[in-house]
Amino acid sequence: METFNNSKPILLFLLLPCLLLYSLIAFNSSSVEAAMHTNNWAVLVCTSRFWFNYRHMANTLSLYRTVKRLGIPDERIILMLADDMACNTRNKYPAQVFNNENHRLNLYGDNVEVDYRGYEVTVENFLRVLTGRHETAVPRSKRLLSDEGSHILLYMTGHGGDEFLKFQDSEELQSHDLADAVKQMKEKHRFKELLIMVDTCQAATLFNQLQSPGVLAIGSSMKGENSYSHHLDSDVGVSVVDRFTYYTLAFFERLNIYDNASLSSLFSSYNPSLLMSTAYYRKDPYKRNLEEVPVTNFFGSVMETIHTDAAYKALSRINSGRFEAQTSLDQSVHHIERRMPMKVNDQEETHNIIPEGNKQLLQGEEGASKCPWSTFCNKFRKGENVDILVNYGLVAMIPLLVILTWLVQ
Amino acid sequence: MEKLKKKIRSFSFWNWVIASIIFRLILIYFPNNLNLSSRPEVSTPLTSFRRLSEGYWLKQLSMSPYAGSMYHGSPLLLSLLGPLTVKRIEGQPNHLLYSLVSVIADVVSAMLIRATGQNLQVAYFGTLKSFDLVKQIEGSEVHSPGDVAALIYLCNPFTIVACMGLSTSPIENMAVILCLYGACSRLIPLAAFGWVIATHMSLYPAILIIPVIFLLGRGPDAPPRKLFLQMHQEKGVLNQSKLPPCFSWGPIIHFAFWALLWSVYVLVLCGISLKQFGGLWEMFKSTYGFILTVEDLSPNIGVLWYFFAEVFEFFWNFFLIVFHANILFMILPLAIRLHHRPCYLAYVAVCSMLKSYPSVGDSALYSGLLGWFVNELSDMQFSLFLFCGYVGVSPLSPVMHNLWIWRGTGNANFYFATTMVYACLQIVLVVEGVSAMLNHDRKLRSLITGKPRDAKS
Repeated sequence: METFNNSKPILLFLLLPCLLLYSLIAFNSSSVEAAMHTNNWAVLVCTSRFWFNYRHMANTLSLYRTVKRLGIPDERIILMLADDMACNTRNKYPAQVFNNENHRLNLYGDNVEVDYRGYEVTVENFLRVLTGRHETAVPRSKRLLSDEGSHILLYMTGHGGDEFLKFQDSEELQSHDLADAVKQMKEKHRFKELLIMVDTCQAATLFNQLQSPGVLAIGSSMKGENSYSHHLDSDVGVSVVDRFTYYTLAFFERLNIYDNASLSSLFSSYNPSLLMSTAYYRKDPYKRNLEEVPVTNFFGSVMETIHTDAAYKALSRINSGRFEAQTSLDQSVHHIERRMPMKVNDQEETHNIIPEGNKQLLQGEEGASKCPWSTFCNKFRKGENVDILVNYGLVAMIPLLVILTWLVQ
Repeated sequence: MEKLKKKIRSFSFWNWVIASIIFRLILIYFPNNLNLSSRPEVSTPLTSFRRLSEGYWLKQLSMSPYAGSMYHGSPLLLSLLGPLTVKRIEGQPNHLLYSLVSVIADVVSAMLIRATGQNLQVAYFGTLKSFDLVKQIEGSEVHSPGDVAALIYLCNPFTIVACMGLSTSPIENMAVILCLYGACSRLIPLAAFGWVIATHMSLYPAILIIPVIFLLGRGPDAPPRKLFLQMHQEKGVLNQSKLPPCFSWGPIIHFAFWALLWSVYVLVLCGISLKQFGGLWEMFKSTYGFILTVEDLSPNIGVLWYFFAEVFEFFWNFFLIVFHANILFMILPLAIRLHHRPCYLAYVAVCSMLKSYPSVGDSALYSGLLGWFVNELSDMQFSLFLFCGYVGVSPLSPVMHNLWIWRGTGNANFYFATTMVYACLQIVLVVEGVSAMLNHDRKLRSLITGKPRDAKS
């Protein structure tokens, strides 16, 4: 005869959901997880039109070629060009754009994908690309679909001045517009790190107003200085490349996809006497040490490939620090060397976050009544243990059922 | 002689069980599970193995398992069966562990069916004894409903196909049978657990609450109470102890309490596991909401996909209500008429005609449960027609599907024809079963009250 007053199983049984409910209540906020660097994007903008600004388009196309060569695919490059050089009636070499008078490289080859061309290169479209606020009909190829794990390279070239950049000879982008857009991007988690490279006159003034963390900016000249073109191609009839971009390209032409040259080596390769201006960079919002950041973090896209045997085996973002253990041993030494800076940095980031989190937890739990629960709740706040808890709950269901059935019989 | 016959019968029962297990194990080793898991009859959006592995993979990537509208099941199944979808053993077929789990679920279900059937048999003989009718059935062959039902369940090709097709139906069926077993054996926590789990995994077993209430309140199947009263009035004996017990509410309240407790437990576990993906509301939207709104119109063995592909969207809500209410409104009048036979009511509830995404696993379940009533339904009309119908539809359905999708020489109507036939067969089965059951009751009444027998055969 079942007795409703059989207290043992009822007590036992009421305790378990109470435990779970208590831990749910005690859990107030989720901890911040550092996003893993997962993809690279490049936004390359040439803000000039007309034949005499040939060099700006050549700048942008050279950087486009470099970035593609080092691994970023077209679907992750937004290229904004006026695109009126290659087929200009004044172009002696139709459908060809050169950045050197030796005409060794045709930058306008078979696989140049221009996303915004002609009159579409406006300040409005540029800001829409950065902030991601498009009309609904804008196709995916014209959108910057980055996420919180992206590193973005933003390269702008054209005519500029003190805190402005001229767009297509009719409008201007001001430094606070750019800073606002970057701030919006940061709030919307549209990038993990951003490198802004500007090649115009008085370029460094364009990022005077930047405050967002994770942004590194370099300009070809400081306030009051001009940026000069490198040389004149007497055959084409105009200057074909600017000095800053020329020396940047010279640095990159020596690299291939496996090199781990650092950003500090890139920045220190600029010689003010050769550039005839001072290349100035701002790294106060960017917290990492430039010597540990490989240039391929921005200018290329070198992806980790981890060989596994089983299907559907994927890493969770929580366990980002552990993937080194699974790499196969016969990868090249360059890979391992290059990967180590990133590993150190990720662990640094996670290490930075965990002590702060623990401090918060310790302060929050001082008023807690039960001591054993504090350690339990601390562990529970980290996301990994959720699955373990659910598994325990499931596994406990069967013996619980058996015991209860037997007891209540 | 009787003992020997019984021994032979029980011996051959275990033979058949072992034979079916061996057959399943052999089938596991066929390459790619004979591609059964890609058949629309076996894997529906609710039971598909591919979707389970997709949900598990999404969960591992710290994304919501319901992202992309692939997985529509319970998050607990993900934690339980998810790791089995990726575990690979060298040299063995791909999904060996998962197939073994399905086989074990089938065997456990069969054993539970057998136990419930034995319970029913004991109750049946008890009622016959109280009516002093035992000598009248001694001559005719009375099958043990537990054995018959368990064997039907195990050796049914539908069950084997559902097991080999790596769907989650064996586990859902096990939960339903666990609930009915618990209710028949008066193990209330077990019944509540089975009911909560079955409802949690697919919505339709919720309707089993009505048969379970009757089972707990009154006991397993018995002829109507007024027959007892009539018999005692006739014979003039008022022996209270021989009467079946009155409807008692105590067990029902007990059941409600346990059901509440188990559902809180299950919901808390689900809430924890889905904490960062939108919580319980997301789960309800993706599982129950998906079942109720019939979002996925890919072909299956039901009729709703074709129907909703041709009905204007304006009328969808109306027809959804009609179809889902059909199941509910079928049970309620039957509950009034057949309240003394709750196990049969459970069988009709399990049939769940015009479900959103029926599969072969559902037909496996109700065919198995049909075996419990092999004695009462032995005079069912159209039994040969139904059997041949099922045998005919089973190969025709894949053939029409092939003609439609792969060869292109047929169109959707070909496949829809077979699904309509299947639905018709299901309806005829239920209708004829109910009338056969009522005829059985009428026969009992005529035997007891001494009136001339009905001429119906």
